[in-house]
Amino acid sequence: MNKLSFTISGAFLAVGMAANSAQADETARSGSLAPVPAFVEEALSAGIDHTYDGAWEFFVGGGTAIFDCNGDRRPDLFVAGGINQAQLFQNVSPTGGALKFTAVDTGLGAKQSGKVLGAYPLDFNNDDILDLVVLRLGENLLLEGQGACKFEVSNRSLGFDGGREWTTAFSAIFEPDLDYPTLAFGNYVDRSKPGAPWGTCHDNFLFRPKAGENNHVTYPDATRLSPGYCTLSILFTDWNRSGEPALRVSNDRHYYRGGEEQLWAVPPGRPPRPYRKADGWQHLKIWGMGIASIDLDVDGFPEYALTSMGDTKLQKLDGESDETVPVYQDIAFDLGVTAHRPYSGEDLKPSTGWHSEFQDVNNDGLWDLFIAKGNVEAMPDFADIDPDNLLLGQWNGKFAEVGDKAGIGTDRRGRGAGLADFNADGLLDLVVVNRAAPVSLFRNLGSGTSEQSKPLGNWLAVDIRQPGKANSRAVGAKISVKTGNRTVVKDIQVGAGHASGQMGFVHFGLGVAERANVRIKWPDGDWSHGYRVFANGHVIIERGVEKARLWYPE
Amino acid sequence: MIRNFCRATLALTLGLALSQISHADPDLPPWSEKAIQEDVDIEALAASGQDPIAVLQPLGERLFSAKFTTLDGAGRPDATGAIVPTKVRRQSHLTFQRLAGLDANACASCHNEPVAGGSGAFTANVFVSEGFTSADFDTIDPQFSNERNTNAIQGAGLIELLAREMTSELRKQRKNVLAKARANGRPEQIALETKGVSFGSLTAYPDGTLEVSELDGIDDDLTLRPFSQKGVFPSLRQFTVNAMNAHHGIQSTERFGSKWTGTDDFDADGHTTEMTPGQISALVAWQATLPAPTRKENLPDIWQQAAQKGEELFGEIDCSSCHIPALPLESLVFYDPGPFDTAGTLRQSDVETPLALDLSTLDWVKSLPRDDQGRVLVPLFGDLKRHKIADAANDTFGNELLAQRFVARDVFITSELWGIGSTAPYGHRGDLTTLNEVILAHGGDATESRKAYSKLAEPDRQSIIAFLRSLEIAK
Repeated sequence: MNKLSFTISGAFLAVGMAANSAQADETARSGSLAPVPAFVEEALSAGIDHTYDGAWEFFVGGGTAIFDCNGDRRPDLFVAGGINQAQLFQNVSPTGGALKFTAVDTGLGAKQSGKVLGAYPLDFNNDDILDLVVLRLGENLLLEGQGACKFEVSNRSLGFDGGREWTTAFSAIFEPDLDYPTLAFGNYVDRSKPGAPWGTCHDNFLFRPKAGENNHVTYPDATRLSPGYCTLSILFTDWNRSGEPALRVSNDRHYYRGGEEQLWAVPPGRPPRPYRKADGWQHLKIWGMGIASIDLDVDGFPEYALTSMGDTKLQKLDGESDETVPVYQDIAFDLGVTAHRPYSGEDLKPSTGWHSEFQDVNNDGLWDLFIAKGNVEAMPDFADIDPDNLLLGQWNGKFAEVGDKAGIGTDRRGRGAGLADFNADGLLDLVVVNRAAPVSLFRNLGSGTSEQSKPLGNWLAVDIRQPGKANSRAVGAKISVKTGNRTVVKDIQVGAGHASGQMGFVHFGLGVAERANVRIKWPDGDWSHGYRVFANGHVIIERGVEKARLWYPE
Repeated sequence: MIRNFCRATLALTLGLALSQISHADPDLPPWSEKAIQEDVDIEALAASGQDPIAVLQPLGERLFSAKFTTLDGAGRPDATGAIVPTKVRRQSHLTFQRLAGLDANACASCHNEPVAGGSGAFTANVFVSEGFTSADFDTIDPQFSNERNTNAIQGAGLIELLAREMTSELRKQRKNVLAKARANGRPEQIALETKGVSFGSLTAYPDGTLEVSELDGIDDDLTLRPFSQKGVFPSLRQFTVNAMNAHHGIQSTERFGSKWTGTDDFDADGHTTEMTPGQISALVAWQATLPAPTRKENLPDIWQQAAQKGEELFGEIDCSSCHIPALPLESLVFYDPGPFDTAGTLRQSDVETPLALDLSTLDWVKSLPRDDQGRVLVPLFGDLKRHKIADAANDTFGNELLAQRFVARDVFITSELWGIGSTAPYGHRGDLTTLNEVILAHGGDATESRKAYSKLAEPDRQSIIAFLRSLEIAK
């Protein structure tokens, strides 16, 4: 080695040590070895100036529906307003650019757009145009999508009584041999009962489709899911890999008496029945606000994150119990997702969690967990400044909080939310509906800046369809994405979260994989062949078609 | 050493001190068995304005020939050779094993005929497998791996530049047909073609969707992947990262580092940061600047005449429809990282400024012919397209059982014939000893040309052999 080499080697070591030291500091601060995406708030510049607000009845709710209402395959936004009018925003974001939306008229009257708490998209009439179920304080609405972001109220034509309840949760499933969806509505406090609000929770309702003449479907009868325990989130989920989804119900202990979390069996053609202690169901009382479901370990049995006041639960089917009984263990502490108090600021009081959702925001192939946070209104025993959580999945199976570092921590009171790729750049953006404060809309910049976003891991967006069949959007299907020896799965579901749903491309992070094998378990249980697809694109898989189609945004 | 000193002096006079760019480990004794001793800060190099070739090429050459040791992190006891970081199911008690690897401790131990970077003998064959589910195979049973001969890398920089331009052009055509379908409100079809090579067709729909089932010889994402016998690697950089892990157990941080695996020692061999982006760039630069194969000079008249005749016949019997004599190249600036790599291989978005290796400064590039538009004519004798090359009547090239990276078992990229006079044995398995045998092994899409060759009179067939044997990698 010559003299020059020795001379320059000192610099090498010094640079190396400095880099290592900086990396160590960085890791210690963020606690995440996984790359942290940068988010920038763009609601106002994107044209979204909207606030969910109102009195006590609107302390809860505040949801958003993320779906394509005009057939351009880009996710649009319907946002609840509470005392304000709900609004629909059409997505006109340039691909890869700053987010941009245009408020559009839904065709609803002022009364129908008022007192909206949340909304969930689905195709309930099988025309492959997404419809919308709107949850209200008062009559719930089934809005039939007409295309071009126009809707018609179809309560009357469907024989659906929207009721007068305070509706705060929704889920839907296509039961076997039924061509139209079964609809479940979760209700909150029955304000008309004596002694309200304490111990006066309303029953929840299940509507099954009834075929009439000329296959005209109606929803004439509501089956009561009684007792109701002031429900804030529900989800049809195949918890036991039986192929028969049950209805998971998360309830707010603040108002119920003698209540608990619930799981209802919904056997086809038969009345629902709640799982009881004799069935293995364990008593659990939380301030249940939002369900998020994902199969973290891909064993076919989903895990459930349940937001609450204080700690978030993460339930996993107990491996030591008979897997045919719903006995769950809470693994939230072990995995670092309790998120029980604010991660920044001086306020150490317990948190209040609302919407929750598993997604992959950094495209590393590991599921991340978003939780919207915010004081109910002015509850003194709970944190007043309570920033939303972004818990990044790590390769050791745990999660690390990066909400502040990612730039999504605000002092607003989060409620409903959703993660979707609004500008089609392969990075999931975030919308949060806040109570008594403007909607937050965060653009995911990846490892870049607002001037120039930069990608993180590779990704894949998958849309699956069943053309010419009932259940065009394949609710109840499972998408399996395999890279190398690793498989991740995600179900097509309608429900969960906090008053917020979405339908459209399903996003997967692929990490460093350049390609993936995708298989679909269709709602009837049939598995597709494997679709070989390349990373960093949108694919559309239609049932029975040999090759996936690709979609390219303009 | 004198050459190194001269380069350093040059760099110093150009501005940024070389010490800020290129570094060597000072604590190693001169007898150290550590093979990786130097690094390059590619961000600083790109910002310096210095010629990156001058800085990277010598280091790349040393790394290509270096015999990596366990002191460098050679070995991957807990990782497979797979392209996606994958843990082994059971650890092998053998560090080296010619099947699932490690199968070499130097690049040049296989790529060495007739010079470093060249091809390899049958003894240097490798057994390639995706390495996911059967990573620890210890059999040559073809259900677990495909046996492949070592490719020559000479001229690879130009090949990658051609592939980049073709990818750009094809994607532009895709964009245009999508825009046309959207504008016209009806499906539109386009026949894809770039540099005179057709790649099937695309059908675009007004809603922005694309039907890709009629593509031919290229992946659905329209990334032309020119490297390997199969044509499945888009860049020298990606291939280098793959190969360093698969063959040597040297794991680059850009794919195996903590960012993507949660650990800086994924293979659990006790070594972290085994290969930096700068070291990968050095290897890329050396490979990208390897002189392209040429034609033998000073041939005896009889060979010269036969070769000339053979080249004409090569065209007449349509071998040249796939083995296209030359493809035009617009730009000679080789950016590293390149434009089409994805996460796991350093991307242009991962750096402030990519390195710009101007291949036009190289003497051997200056000697290449240009067309009337000033484009360099790259004499590769290839089309950078994949073809079905075996059929039931002639299945010599259909001797593999495993598809690779979505490409069927009997489909391979057209071999570039430049340098073929120096790269016997032939075929993707290296099991054909003569050019006559390898020509007769062509089936599938090449059936007609093979038949035409068979029908030639022996002197004509010999002239084709004479032509092919005149294409050499210069020593």
